[in-house]
Amino acid sequence: MKNRTKLPNIYLGIVTAIMYLPILIVIIYSFNESRISSVWEGFSFKWYADLFRDKSILDALINSIILASLSSLSAGVIGTLAAVGMTKVKLRTNSTVEYIATLPIIIPEIILGIIFLLYFSLLGLRFGMTTLIIAHTTFCVPYVLILVKARLAGMDKSFVEAARDLGASGPRAFFDITLPLILPAVASGMLLSFAMSFDDVVISVFVTGVNVNTLPLKIYTSLKTGVTPKINALCTLMFIATIILIMLSAYLGKLNRINTTDSKEETL
Amino acid sequence: MKKKKRKNRPGLSIFSILPLYLFTIVFVAFPLIYLFVLSFLTRAETWGVVNQLTLKNYLGILDPIYLNTFIESFKLAILTTGLVILVGYPYGYFMAKLNSDWRRRMMLLLMIPFWISSLMRLFGWVTMFRANGVLDKFLMMLGIIDEPLKLLYTYPAVVVGMVYALTPFMIFSVYSSAEKLDWSMVEAARDLGATRWKAFVTVTLKLTLPGLLSGVVLTFIPSMGLFYIAELLGGNKVVLVGNVIQEQLMKSHNWPFAAALSVVLMALTSFVIFLYRKITKVKDLEGLV
Amino acid sequence: MKKIMTLLLVLTLALGLFAGCESDKKSEGGTLNLFTWEGMFPQEVLDGFTADTGITISYNNFDYDETMLAKLQAAEGGDYDLVIADDYIIETVIDEGLAQKLDMSKLSNFKNINPIYQGQFYDPSDEYTVPYGAGIQTIVYDPSLVDIEIKGYADLMDPSLKDSVGIISNYRVINGLALKIMGESYNTEDISKIEAAGEILLDLAPNIRLIKDDNLQDDLVSGEISAAVMYTSQVTLAKLANPDLKIVYPEEGIGFGIMAGFIPSKAPNPDAAHAFLNYILQPEIAAQCFEWLGYYSTTEAADSLINDEFKEFLTLPENLNLDSEMIQLVSSDAEEAHSKVWTAFKAATGK
Repeated sequence: MKNRTKLPNIYLGIVTAIMYLPILIVIIYSFNESRISSVWEGFSFKWYADLFRDKSILDALINSIILASLSSLSAGVIGTLAAVGMTKVKLRTNSTVEYIATLPIIIPEIILGIIFLLYFSLLGLRFGMTTLIIAHTTFCVPYVLILVKARLAGMDKSFVEAARDLGASGPRAFFDITLPLILPAVASGMLLSFAMSFDDVVISVFVTGVNVNTLPLKIYTSLKTGVTPKINALCTLMFIATIILIMLSAYLGKLNRINTTDSKEETL
Repeated sequence: MKKKKRKNRPGLSIFSILPLYLFTIVFVAFPLIYLFVLSFLTRAETWGVVNQLTLKNYLGILDPIYLNTFIESFKLAILTTGLVILVGYPYGYFMAKLNSDWRRRMMLLLMIPFWISSLMRLFGWVTMFRANGVLDKFLMMLGIIDEPLKLLYTYPAVVVGMVYALTPFMIFSVYSSAEKLDWSMVEAARDLGATRWKAFVTVTLKLTLPGLLSGVVLTFIPSMGLFYIAELLGGNKVVLVGNVIQEQLMKSHNWPFAAALSVVLMALTSFVIFLYRKITKVKDLEGLV
Repeated sequence: MKKIMTLLLVLTLALGLFAGCESDKKSEGGTLNLFTWEGMFPQEVLDGFTADTGITISYNNFDYDETMLAKLQAAEGGDYDLVIADDYIIETVIDEGLAQKLDMSKLSNFKNINPIYQGQFYDPSDEYTVPYGAGIQTIVYDPSLVDIEIKGYADLMDPSLKDSVGIISNYRVINGLALKIMGESYNTEDISKIEAAGEILLDLAPNIRLIKDDNLQDDLVSGEISAAVMYTSQVTLAKLANPDLKIVYPEEGIGFGIMAGFIPSKAPNPDAAHAFLNYILQPEIAAQCFEWLGYYSTTEAADSLINDEFKEFLTLPENLNLDSEMIQLVSSDAEEAHSKVWTAFKAATGK
């Protein structure tokens, strides 16, 4: 059936535009000559120059990338293994553990932050990257776990059964059959985890230690002393980087798809 | 089926769920138990806690002043969730009706903002709502207003910020439900003479209900605790439970009371999830992405 | 495949540990781990110190004094070499045994400190701290937007100021403002008086447009609010941006606070901390710092060197014969009464 009306598309367009409105404002004000964001004093590139001179921001960016990669990676491993394992090992405690594991995205962040601060000092852990990774992993695991479980639920189990009947061992069946099938879910769970970790302020404030500053923390503290357009400039660059990355991955994905269809056709 | 082979399988698979068990117990369950214990302890005179059990913290919540913040948070959360449904449901629904290329593009468009600091995006709204800010200037240019609207630091500004921050979650949930929808059923209902509206309510809405409800959970719960939106856009005049918890921790040095507030808030949110499971009979939140 | 997974897992842990240890490595030798709010020193001063001494500075910031104390306690007085924070929290820090006594032989410039700011409640015999900036809570208003003359806190309740006053988000200061109107002490522990102050605040509530700690001056300059109760550094910034603003030292009395630096009990590099304290106590450097910081200079020897443009904001007004009082910690019952009054007040401002 053809859409009789363009109304839905107009609606989608308007709402999407509104979502991008604040980002647009952030970008525009990165070119503001004035230090104060409430006044527009003219066009300038000086905040970009300022940004490149600021080594602490670069350090923070690197820390953020390390942190987000490691937390999403650990979450990816823990979450995927568990989601797959739970389809086989049906313990009565599974649903309880699963519920507790998802609590970190349900509890207000501020509570989580302070409990971690108190709990880690109880354990005598040194505050720094390690504590940051542990804390971030707790709220990354649920995303991977839930997504992979959903994927597994909709998956045809006969593949794995068939593989095993043909004599494949458990791990072998997992890596050859299950993993490729759930990979999209694992990837999107980890991607989401990465984004969440990359943006986290509230929990990081409490569990970071000496010498470890992340990008959101840097932005948060500069909100306190007054946002200069330097931060806007940073966000603009990150926006551009995101778009480039996405276009690149879409392009690579397309290439990939073409290649695989080609090879399929050949074998046919 | 060969029973023999299957026997050693659970043995191996135990190792795959072990990391989650260990991690969850050590880094989620224990801290939460610690929080629970903390909520029954007594604050020290200036800093820290004293190991002396008390119910005082929970009784303190019954003070009308603090009960009121729970009610205020509830009101705002309900208002926010309502608006998020209004904006997000049609979005997710329409999005599911697009062809697959456009669906993928829209998904990307929705994901991109997540990569820009959420604080800065909120700050974009601040710049927008400021007296003589972007919105005021724009409306004045069009001749619609001639006085600044003074929108910043008002209740509506907080609501806009909340709806803005949470709508994507509703969209994802509704979309993942609607995507699986079998449109031929809607067609069939229409063919059988149902009006557009009736077909929507009896078929579409019913089938996308799990997505809608999980969206409700995903927006309702965080909106109880998002304290920095009330701070940045509301000028601290909207007092939510999240704000009180933050203040009790950071300024009043009253950790046990903050812990008690947190436990009650968690109990309330768990109740919402419990209701969700009762109604939908689903265990996982649909389309949590 | 499995090997790859295991490898990834090991790598994750190794990288995490490596990142955790990296900070250890840095703090050996010539690093000063400074822990304070963002933006407390001009970059030139930090760079100058490194150029002079060869000690690199690692600047770590906290958002609230309380976060600092929690972190310091978690590190058992280690990790950080020098902390600069507010007076009241330093009292707790010293009580908890988390600060070490200063080695005066390494602080040749200690004599440059203005004695007004010494011997205070948090460090009565000046053994632990070096003051770095002091401030009072002041009313500032824009005469072009305000019809009345504001002389004190009570004037802020004038109906003509409806929905146009901004205040800092510090409940001891704001509740204290009401206590001052009543003629009471900031530090009263009498619950009934604190509750009475809460009643007065409810009259102020309709006039409040904004409660926030950071950058309140921006909202005054942009015209979002027309009068404000703010910290000294904000007053300085506001006045520099708009010289027509009027500063009022409230007639009911003022509260003042001091920020000070101390060395944690197990600081990894106390020598660097002493060197830094001594460095910023030099008159020329101190003048540079206070011009940047915008708080009252606590280093008397620097007063004469401060640029005239800033002078009136950075030195305590000479003819200030008002009753001034420092805000100190009160009993936990009084503290709870304060936070309750404050929560009720904030809820009332939103109505």
